[in-house]
Amino acid sequence: MESRILKPVLALYVALFLLFLYGPFVVLTILSFQQGPEGGPQFPIIEWSTYWYRQLFGLTPPSRIAPLPFGDALIRSLVLALMTMVVSTVLGVMSAQAFRRRFRGASLVFYLIVLGMMVPGVLTGLGTSLLANNIIGIERHWYTTAFATHVAYTYPFAFLVMLAILNRFDDSVEEASWSLGVDPWTTFRKVTFPLIFPGVLSAMLFAFTLSLDEFPRTLFASGRDQTLPLAIYGTFAVEIHPNIFAFGVLTTLFSFALLSVYGILMALSVRRARRLAMQEDIA
Amino acid sequence: MPEPAPALKRQSMTTRLLLAPGILWMALFLVLPILMIVYVSFWTQTTFNISPTPTLASWKAFFGSDTYTGALWTTLRLWLIILASTFIVGYPTALFVGLLVKSKTVSTVLLVICVIPFWTSFLIRVLAWRPMLGKEGAINIVLMKLHIISQPIEVLLFTELSVVIGMTQIYCVFMVGPIAFMLARIDRNIIEAARDLGAGFGRIFWKIIFPLSLPGVVVGAIFVSVMVLGEFATSAALSGRKVNLLGNIIVTQVGSLKWAMASVVGVILTVVMGIVIAGFLRIVDLKREL
Repeated sequence: MESRILKPVLALYVALFLLFLYGPFVVLTILSFQQGPEGGPQFPIIEWSTYWYRQLFGLTPPSRIAPLPFGDALIRSLVLALMTMVVSTVLGVMSAQAFRRRFRGASLVFYLIVLGMMVPGVLTGLGTSLLANNIIGIERHWYTTAFATHVAYTYPFAFLVMLAILNRFDDSVEEASWSLGVDPWTTFRKVTFPLIFPGVLSAMLFAFTLSLDEFPRTLFASGRDQTLPLAIYGTFAVEIHPNIFAFGVLTTLFSFALLSVYGILMALSVRRARRLAMQEDIA
Repeated sequence: MPEPAPALKRQSMTTRLLLAPGILWMALFLVLPILMIVYVSFWTQTTFNISPTPTLASWKAFFGSDTYTGALWTTLRLWLIILASTFIVGYPTALFVGLLVKSKTVSTVLLVICVIPFWTSFLIRVLAWRPMLGKEGAINIVLMKLHIISQPIEVLLFTELSVVIGMTQIYCVFMVGPIAFMLARIDRNIIEAARDLGAGFGRIFWKIIFPLSLPGVVVGAIFVSVMVLGEFATSAALSGRKVNLLGNIIVTQVGSLKWAMASVVGVILTVVMGIVIAGFLRIVDLKREL
């Protein structure tokens, strides 16, 4: 059968594909161990060293190359991502919950929300800045205008995740709760929410990571104080040094840590759900 | 008309309350800003400021300048190239992950491996292509070590090609995901049945597999289009300012406080975007595919 030829060929192709996908990151990691401070961001490696990592943490004597001015920007980005995560997840859960019933204009509302992930960030950023500058007359800040654009971007993702989860939701458990006289809010808190919690976690993860790395929206809308992607963009204009690569490696490791926390929480909630189901079976 | 039952009335009230914050947020921070761009594109631009006196000056300036209209064509050309390249690079991978891998675990693991690079900051991923493509970059070093080339290839970096390579790598996963998802949903019995009836793989692919994966292709194409049409960072970082997309023009115009011109380019980008997405949505109903 052809699949006997096709499968190995495609497997080889996928291996090449992964090489293409990972190549730049591998090169970046190698170059982050370039000798410092004289070594540049290119081959050959003069001598292996952890100089650029130490420089990030201010452990090297001052040299010609200034350390990356990322400290404040990193904190701002983390706070912004947290704010965005909370608001867009709450909005996403609320709207998806509403979409479980039919209502007039559902299609219109659906596309209004999804529009948020379709409009290029450079446009929302530009429009929000124009609005703040010329109509409302307020200063732009990362925690006001940029925050508004971030939520308008991540909320659709949270909404879609929750919609997919609630589409597969078994309504009868809620109905059972209602018929026992439990009010809708308590039912949501005690019955619905624990069941959709894995979805909520995914929505939070989406919103947090999208906001943390969001660049085009922030570029115009954040005003004077830079967030992390803006600070990184700032290094584009001047000369690049391997410290930016070292920083890239560290942020990736941080993301992995975040993903692991998510994985653990997910596994715990799945296990708890299974235990509850088993208790029910016994009872 | 009969009065709706009180329970129904309360339900529709709940629905409204649940939807109101989201709708309000999107109206204020998404729709209003876009309308604002349209409005400002007709404002009068003075050296450092804009005033609401209506004028067509910025529009005339856009269509009268080769730099600006050129950016429009470059954007459209690059968009089509990236659409094609991400599809060509991504489809076989999706075919393997979604259809040929029998084990569910292996295919999930492969998908996760595809997504991992996204945990690096977007801008650093773009930047990582520089030591890859440069004259003394990794690709040239490897190719010379393998004696495939004797002179380093210089057109790899700071050309349109480098932008194409960079964007393909950054966006191809958005093609792979949706296509693999659709392929995984294909009922294997249909393929089995076709095979029993004597159809070869080529026939099965073109008559069954490809048509059934088409919604995935369209969803992937929407993702890629949305991101590529609004791009400016990759082209700025990898083309050495040689490739100017509409996004780049907006950034430079805002940088020199030419808000009116930036808005004109913004409106044009919105229109292009609208046409592209509406076109794709005619082929596939996004809400039904969920």
